[in-house]
Amino acid sequence: MIELLTETAIQEPQRIRGLEMPWNRVMGSTEAPARAARALGPWHPQEFMAECVETVPEAGGLMTFVFRRCDGAPLAFRAGQYVNVAFPVNGEDKEPVDRSYSLSSSPTEPWTFSISVKRDGGGLVSPWVHENVKPGTVLEMLGPVGAFHLPDADRRARYLLLAAGAGITPIMSMVRTIHSLPGHADVVVLYHGAEAGGFAFHQELAYIASVDSRVKVFYSLGDRSKPEGWEGLSGRLTAAMLDEVAPDANGRQVYACGPEGYLNTATELLKKVGVDDTSIYMEFFTGDRQTLLEYQAELAHAADIAEEIAEEIADSAEDYFESQPTAFGLYEPGYDAEGTLKAGGLPLETVDADAAGPEALDGGSDTEPETASPDASSFDTVGTGSLTLSFMRTGINVRIDPTEHILGAAQRAGVRIGANCKEGMCGSCKVVKLSGEVEMNHQGGIRAREIDAGKFLPCCSTARTDMVIDA
Amino acid sequence: MSAPVLPLNSRGKLASSLPAEQLAEISQLFEFRRTGYSLDAPFYTDPTIFKIDMEAIFGQHWIFAGSVAELPEPGDYITVDYGPYSLIVLRNDDGGVNVLHNVCRHRGARVLTEAAGSTGNLVCGYHSWTYSAEGNLIHASAPGEAKFDKNCFALKRAHSREVAGLIFVCIADEPPTDFDETSKIFEPYLAPHDLSKTKIAYQQNIIEEGNWKLVMENNRECYHCDGHPELACSLFPTWGLTEGLIPAHLEEVWDRNKEAQSSLEERCRRYGLPYEVVEELDTRIAGIRISRESLDGEGESFSADGRRLSKKLLGDLPDFRLGRCSMHLQPNSWFHFLGDHVITFGVFPINEHQSLVRTTWLVADDAVEGVDYDLEKLTYTWKQTNLQDKAFVELCQQGAGSPAYEPGPYMKSEYQVEAFINWYVQRVQEHLA
Repeated sequence: MIELLTETAIQEPQRIRGLEMPWNRVMGSTEAPARAARALGPWHPQEFMAECVETVPEAGGLMTFVFRRCDGAPLAFRAGQYVNVAFPVNGEDKEPVDRSYSLSSSPTEPWTFSISVKRDGGGLVSPWVHENVKPGTVLEMLGPVGAFHLPDADRRARYLLLAAGAGITPIMSMVRTIHSLPGHADVVVLYHGAEAGGFAFHQELAYIASVDSRVKVFYSLGDRSKPEGWEGLSGRLTAAMLDEVAPDANGRQVYACGPEGYLNTATELLKKVGVDDTSIYMEFFTGDRQTLLEYQAELAHAADIAEEIAEEIADSAEDYFESQPTAFGLYEPGYDAEGTLKAGGLPLETVDADAAGPEALDGGSDTEPETASPDASSFDTVGTGSLTLSFMRTGINVRIDPTEHILGAAQRAGVRIGANCKEGMCGSCKVVKLSGEVEMNHQGGIRAREIDAGKFLPCCSTARTDMVIDA
Repeated sequence: MSAPVLPLNSRGKLASSLPAEQLAEISQLFEFRRTGYSLDAPFYTDPTIFKIDMEAIFGQHWIFAGSVAELPEPGDYITVDYGPYSLIVLRNDDGGVNVLHNVCRHRGARVLTEAAGSTGNLVCGYHSWTYSAEGNLIHASAPGEAKFDKNCFALKRAHSREVAGLIFVCIADEPPTDFDETSKIFEPYLAPHDLSKTKIAYQQNIIEEGNWKLVMENNRECYHCDGHPELACSLFPTWGLTEGLIPAHLEEVWDRNKEAQSSLEERCRRYGLPYEVVEELDTRIAGIRISRESLDGEGESFSADGRRLSKKLLGDLPDFRLGRCSMHLQPNSWFHFLGDHVITFGVFPINEHQSLVRTTWLVADDAVEGVDYDLEKLTYTWKQTNLQDKAFVELCQQGAGSPAYEPGPYMKSEYQVEAFINWYVQRVQEHLA
C-alpha cells in the first residue's frame, strides 16, 4: 500500500548573498591542496581526447553524450560554453568534420561532461553522431570556447533564461550549475518548443523547479495547436508573455539561445519590456553565414591558444599550473570587461546580515610596497647597534639596537620626524617604511589600513630587521 | 530699561543673551506671521534671526549630516559645519557613529580641518592635544602642570542616529524624541536600496547666496519647475498638483503621470515596496514627507528618456522601473532613492544670506565608472537643476533685501512651502517660549 505524503510548510533556506562559481575560491587560494585543484578553473581552451561513456536519449530528438577526458583530467569550463568536436564522419582515415556543441552538463560536476545533439534528418553530422557515437567512442575535441556563459561571481544573480528548441542545451547547463550551488539567485526559464512531447530535459527541469525555490520554468508551445491537457503557455514569444513570466525582466540579466529568427524577435521584445541591451547575452544555434564566420574566428583563436598551452605544458607543466590564475578573463562577457568581479569573488555574507564587512570586489590590497630600494650605500652611517636604518630622504644610515625605539635614534641622528606624544597615540610621527620589519606597540595613533599601506609610528616601534624608511 | 538677567547656565546662548526689546520684537514677528504668505524680510536677512534659527532649529533638532557611504570604515570621518557649529562625524571601531564638536578643549582650534578623511586618534594641529575616537583627551604634554586633569577636557559629544544608511546628528542636550517615530515611517521605504552597499559617485558642494529657508522653500514646490527643462524630462512637472488644478498645457502630462503612477504602484505591491504618501510636514516635530512616485519616460531614473543611469541595481531591488522614492525631512534635507542610484541633499546654513547645499550621488559599490555608469550623464540632470535652483534662491534673497519687498501668497501647489514655514515658526516659538 502506498503511503500518502503530506505537504509540510518548510521555511526558505538561509543563504549567502549571490552566486559564486566554486573555482573562484580555488584560484584565489594559496593553500597547497587547493592549488592542486586549479585544474578545475575555467582555463584556456585545449585540444584533448575524450571517451564517450554514456548515451541518454532525450525528448525532442536530442541525444545526450556523456564523455570523460582520456587523460583523466576534469574538463574545466563555464556554464554556457561549447566544445568543438572532430567527428570522423567519412571514416577514420579521412579528414574529420568539425562541429561545435554546447555543453549541457554543469561545470560543478567536471569529471564527466556532456553535449546534447539534436538529430537533423537532412544533416551530415548529427545523424552520424546519433548512430555511431557509443560508450567507448573516442573523439578529438577543442574547448572550452565561447563568451556566452554565466559570470564567475554575481551578487545579484537574477536571470531570465530564454531557450527555443535545442537552444535549451547551454541553458540546461546554466540551470544545473545554479541548482548545484548555494547562494541567492532568482531564475526564470522560458522554454519554447514545437510540440508537447518535444521538450528535452523537461523532467529534470520540473524536478529542479519543484525542489529549488530559486528556479521557475515556463513552457510555451510555439504557434501550433495545443493538445488536450496542455497546461503551459502557448504562442510565440511576445512582450506580454515576457511580462507574464518575468514582470521584472527589466532588472534581470537575460541569456537566450535558439534559432536566429527567435533571437531576433527576442532582442526586439526584450527592449520593449525595458531590458537594457547590455543585459542581454545571446547564442545563435543555427546562424546565417555571418554568425558561422564569427564562430570560426572564435574557434581559430581557441585553437591557437590551445597550441600555445600545449607547448607550455610540454616545456614545464609545473610553471604552467602555477600560472593558472592568469588564464582568467579570456572569455569574460563584455559587461565584465573591467574585471568588476574578479577571481577574488564575493565576500561571505548572508543576505540578511546588516553588519556585513566591506566588499573587496576591486581586488583587495593595491598598495604594493616599492620593490626597488634607492641606494643607501653612499650615506653616512652614525651610531652603534646591530641593525641599520636607512633614512632615504635625509640620506643617512643609523645603527640601532633591536630594543631601542626608532624615533629617538632617528631624531638624534638629525632625521626630522615631528612627534608629540611619543606613546603611539597622536600619530604625528607617522612615516612610511620601504622595507624591513618593525615591532610596534601603538595606542590608536595609526589605523590597520595605514599599517597595511606600509606606515608605522617610530615612537613606539623597534626594528626587527634592517630597514629602509621614507624620511 | 534694564539689562536682561542671565542665568548662570546660559553662557554662550544667543537668544537669551539678546536684549529684551529685541527679543520681544522678534517674538512678535513670529507671532504675527501671516499664514499662507511668505515670511517678512528680516527672516531672510537679519543676523539676529539667523542666530535664533541656529539655536532653535539647528541647535535643537535632528539634522541630516551624511550617509554611510561617506564613512564606510572605522576611522572614516566627515566634518559638518553649519552656522557657528562644526561637528566631527566619525565611524568608530564598533561600527557606530560618534559625533564630536570639532572644537579643541585647549584653545578652541578646529581639531580636524579636512571635509572628510580617515583618522586614528584625533590630534589637534595646534598643540597636539590628542583625543580618542570617543572624544576623551588621552594626551596633552603638560610639563610642570601639577593640577592638570585630562579627564576634564574631553571633546564635547553630540547625539547621532543612523537610519537606513542615513546619518543624523543632534547637538541638543536632550534631542526631540519623536525622531524615532519618524524613522519608523521612512526606514521601510529606504531600506531596500541598501545604502550600506553604495559608494559615492560624486559629491557637489555649492554655496547659494540665500538664506537657508529660501533654499528649503524652493525645494518644497514644483510651481517653478518650468525653469528646470532637464529635470522635466523625467520628473512630471505636475508634481504637487491635484485633480482640478491642472493647467490646460499640462493635461496630457497629467494623464501620463496617472497611468505611470498606477503601473508603478502595481510593481510596488508585487515587490512589497511601500509607496503611499506620508505627509507630516508640520504635524510632528521631526517633520517628514515621503512617497514613491513615478517618473516619466521609461520610469527608471533622472535621464532624458527616463532610462537607468547606472547598470547595477541597488540592494536586492528586482527592477529598475521603480520611479523615485522621495523624502523631505525638516529642517535641512531631501532625497531621491531610485533603482540605480540615490541622491542626498543637505542644506547647511553659513550665515543669514549664504547656505551650503551638498548633493551626493550614490551608486552600487560594485558599479564601475565608465563601465556601469558615465559620471557626466549620472550627474547631469541634478547639476543643471541645482544651478537653476541656486539662481532662483538668489533672486529671492535679493528681493528680500529690497525695501519694496512684502510677503506674497503661497499658491495651492505650494502648500508644502507653507507647511515648512509653519513647522519652522512653531518650532522657534516653542523654543522662545
